[in-house]
Amino acid sequence: MIDKNDVELLAKMAGLKIDPAYLQGVTDNLCALLVQGALLMSSPVAPEVEPATVLRL
Amino acid sequence: MIVLDRPGNIVGACAIADAVRRGELSAVTLIESRLERIHRLNPLLNCFTEVLVERALRMAGAIDAMVADGHDPGPLAGVPFGVKDNYDVAGKITTAGSTINRTRDPASADALLLQRVARAGAVLVGTQNMDEFAYGFTTENAHYGATHNPCDLKRSAGGSSGGSAAAVAAGLTEFSLGTDTNGSIRVPASFCGIFGLKPTFGRLPRTGTFPFVHDLDHLGPFARSTADLAAIYDALQGYDEDDAGCVAREIELTAPHLKRSQGDPSVAILDGWFHDMADDQGRAAVDAVARVLNVRSRATFAGTEQARAAAFVLTAASGGNLHFEALRMSADQFDPATRDRLLAGALVPANLILQAQRIRHLYHAEVMEAFRRHDLLLAPATPCHAPLLGQPTIRVGGKDVPTRPNIGVLTQPLSFVGLPIVTVPVQSPGLPIGVQIIAPPWREDAALAAAARVEAAGIASFSVAEPC
Repeated sequence: MIDKNDVELLAKMAGLKIDPAYLQGVTDNLCALLVQGALLMSSPVAPEVEPATVLRL
Repeated sequence: MIVLDRPGNIVGACAIADAVRRGELSAVTLIESRLERIHRLNPLLNCFTEVLVERALRMAGAIDAMVADGHDPGPLAGVPFGVKDNYDVAGKITTAGSTINRTRDPASADALLLQRVARAGAVLVGTQNMDEFAYGFTTENAHYGATHNPCDLKRSAGGSSGGSAAAVAAGLTEFSLGTDTNGSIRVPASFCGIFGLKPTFGRLPRTGTFPFVHDLDHLGPFARSTADLAAIYDALQGYDEDDAGCVAREIELTAPHLKRSQGDPSVAILDGWFHDMADDQGRAAVDAVARVLNVRSRATFAGTEQARAAAFVLTAASGGNLHFEALRMSADQFDPATRDRLLAGALVPANLILQAQRIRHLYHAEVMEAFRRHDLLLAPATPCHAPLLGQPTIRVGGKDVPTRPNIGVLTQPLSFVGLPIVTVPVQSPGLPIGVQIIAPPWREDAALAAAARVEAAGIASFSVAEPC
């Protein structure tokens, strides 16, 4: 999984500077999200399934 | 003259409105009595962030004047209500449970749904406590304190609309308006033992409310009976073009048809995830409701765990995006419980967000296929009854899991696909628990009618909780 160093780097890429006091909490939460994300990526999804709400004009 | 300062005399929104309209009950007398009750009990419960005494008495006076002049003040005449603190109230800052929002300008107008029930004669008495930015299921707010469950003051009222639910449960208001993104009406309704309605996504305009997740946010009412819930919902309906998510549908009244026979609808109990993640009390509550509705079958959605994961990821990412600038500049001003989740959400890879949306379409298709065979579905609203305030873990699916993010495991997959859901309270010798009556899109009438049947059978009921 990821650690605080990874989170610091990700935050830098996203334009965020995270207070060191918050890093562990953010890391724990991001790990939980990535576990759910892994479940999403393991699900078979055909290419034609829409990735977003379709905009009808 | 009806006396309303004792729980036994509280008779519900519809009956109160009838009495006020007939001139048998003064709205001012009623509101004064309710404000006294709020003054006495709110220190124990912490439902309200602000009690709007002057506004409430002024509006009540206007109602009484209309009646005296022979005018009809509306179907909710004199009925006291509250709104979650993410609804705009004219002249007030909409905090959405935060301190960061205190730098915003006061709202120039009431939220649209607030305007609609006020036009129907209802009287706003205050704004109600919530989890910061609606990102929570327990209403334990670091800035404004926790809301206590009237059924047991040591327990959570649920969230994020906890103040709104607790106010109804304790007889402080006849109804409240809340919001539900992943369960924030259904969870508090379950924990506090009251009725709640999360309508179809896009049914009720969100104009004048502070958002959380634009493509998951729903607004809806809490009330003490299905008749009240239907009457309030009917007053809320109507399209508004200022909400991009609102769908232009005709108003479809439910209250006049509540007791009309719906025939013998095919109702199924949701199995699989919705069985495994519930406890014995929740399953027993569903069984009790199912007996009234002549349930003959069960249904399983294979994709529920993925749907819940998708809602979880999308919520975090959307919240992180919405609050990005504040997280960048003022992270120290957030409730720590929401701050770290939002910061993590801001870092979620785009690939997961897009996958979550694709999973959403697949799950929607799976659910709609089930509605070809069934008219209604049933599931518990929460995996357990109300936990203790500060309780770190709950037991879900045979495992001890962190409380706060897991209370919504049974609500999240269903709101993810925007279905209309009535939560009915099933009382027990101990604490209540809610059951979700789930209808196809736009069939709030069917869910409400089924809820009315369950209520008439005595399975779902409300009783005012004297805080203890």
